[in-house]
Amino acid sequence: MNVPLKRQRPHGLNELYDEQAAIKSALEDRLLGIFDRWGYRRIVLPTFGYYESLSSGASPALQRQMFRFFDREGEIIALRADMTPLTARLVGTRLYDSPLPMRFCYSGSVFRYEPPQAGQRHEFTQVGVELIGGASPEADAEVIALAIASLKALGVGEFQVNLGQVAYLRAALGDNSVQGDRQEALEQAIGRKNDAEVATLLEQIGVSREAERQIRALPHLYGGREVLANARDLSLNAAAREAIDYLEQVYALLVAQDVAEHVMLDLGEVRSMAYYTGISFHGYVQGLGLHLCSGGRYDDLVSNYGPSMPAVGFALGIERAMLASSVSADLGVDALFAADMPASVRRLIAALREKGLRVEIDVVGRHGKDLLDYARQRQATRVIDCASEDRFALYDTGERELSRDELLEEVSRWTH
Amino acid sequence: MDPLTVALPKGRMQDEVLGIFAEAGYRTEPDAGRKLIFPDVTGRLRFLLAKPGDVPTYVEYGAAAFGIAGLDTVREGGHDLYEPLSLGVGKCHLALAGPASWLGRDLRKVPYLRVASKYPRLAQQYFQQRDLSVEIIYLSGSIELAPVVGLSDLLVDLVQSGRTLKENGLVELETLMESEAVLVVNRAVHKLRAAEIRTVVDSLADVLARRKELR
Repeated sequence: MNVPLKRQRPHGLNELYDEQAAIKSALEDRLLGIFDRWGYRRIVLPTFGYYESLSSGASPALQRQMFRFFDREGEIIALRADMTPLTARLVGTRLYDSPLPMRFCYSGSVFRYEPPQAGQRHEFTQVGVELIGGASPEADAEVIALAIASLKALGVGEFQVNLGQVAYLRAALGDNSVQGDRQEALEQAIGRKNDAEVATLLEQIGVSREAERQIRALPHLYGGREVLANARDLSLNAAAREAIDYLEQVYALLVAQDVAEHVMLDLGEVRSMAYYTGISFHGYVQGLGLHLCSGGRYDDLVSNYGPSMPAVGFALGIERAMLASSVSADLGVDALFAADMPASVRRLIAALREKGLRVEIDVVGRHGKDLLDYARQRQATRVIDCASEDRFALYDTGERELSRDELLEEVSRWTH
Repeated sequence: MDPLTVALPKGRMQDEVLGIFAEAGYRTEPDAGRKLIFPDVTGRLRFLLAKPGDVPTYVEYGAAAFGIAGLDTVREGGHDLYEPLSLGVGKCHLALAGPASWLGRDLRKVPYLRVASKYPRLAQQYFQQRDLSVEIIYLSGSIELAPVVGLSDLLVDLVQSGRTLKENGLVELETLMESEAVLVVNRAVHKLRAAEIRTVVDSLADVLARRKELR
């Protein structure tokens, strides 16, 4: 029998409730709190826009993943697949003459059509920052350090940020007149760290011995500071050397900020957003088979919409963070009152809520055992039942009978 | 540190692959394979036995750090994994095959082609690259039956010796891809436990290089 469509949900969407919903907003609050303390101001961005505007700078793969439909004028509309192009548009079209740098943070759903596997959702929440107008290693280091602070705050256990340099990859691959299909095939093979496939492709393309040495070394260029020297030795052009010099400055700043212990240099990772132009990074946590956050420098994106402006940012996937986070949610009720309370008690209930206690009134009108059963399910630490206008029962760690005055006296002592 | 988990394909290749691991210093007890999950004697690795087609899934989700799988399976599933090492075992290729009457025919001149396959994704990709429009008929086994009984014109399947094709009066027309067993690695684990992963990959690579010399 087919389940009627109205009862079903399209694949890859979340409905969260109870602990999960509470944990999600707790994690979002934590991150937005950190961003706020680093001077990043909140922006709210639209959920959809013209495809032309949202797909600008995206890779063909991401473009294919965008949900698209027509509006009533026949224009192609797309749901946002990430927040960065929207931020770039905001800056490029409206805020370009504000004092630089601009620091923005956001939280919201993004939508991607991805095959249903390995934790890929069609809707997921990205919380992130964009630092616009800073062209120096200082800006990159700030965003990376902020990503590290965020990962720490999530309580995800051991984590690591893999830091690469897109400019070095482009210099290495771009110098070998590899183009079109072959460039894509080569990037894919490097992305899989498939040495044999890389070797075969390079042979077919026919690159120089030095170029082959450099490209085949890419998957092995990961580790600590020594990677920089190796990468510089392998460089075949000024662009590659400059890219490494820049990365070295960023790394030095991370060392100076005492966060380099979390950073692994990783020059062989080709997977990143198509609009990245400089450093790029991914955050991983122990026990989760997917990256948790990713970011990078995108100096050419704002100019798609307005004046050219250097920028760097990162975003973190909240649903993935929830898989790894040890943060728990307390849904317990501080006090549960039976429904038919006299006015004097009701006024106290209002006062308790003012104090920050979580107080429920049992609007269903239960008493006695039924009320206590319900209280157990709601994890209520105190239950107040009412037998008559002046006789109440209080259940906390024990069980007591109280007059109204005694109850008022007792309740007024409760604090959060 | 917890042992790194290796997902192995249950069956045909299991012993051969365990042999390579043993030679690399990760021996297992002789009758260990009767359990679904068992450690190596050093305690650094832990093997699990999965259906060959499921191995990439275990690795992609991070339930296993490593896996051994046919390149065909990895690519068909579109799995996002590292493939740092080819093992030189389980060599075969993915071929387009059909009745001998199809030999030498230009497929672009055939307006409508039905192809049976257990590899719909790879088959579709191949035909798209060649600008052919093809109806792929998915079958999970005994693909060579399809052209014989008229279910399809041609088939795309793995070919090892070619004997099965021959027995059914079929011939190979084109090769889609070469395949063999590859070591696949979860992307995140590869980053997080880089040194350990490298040790395992390098010691396996040494074994394979030694074997190549002996041959």
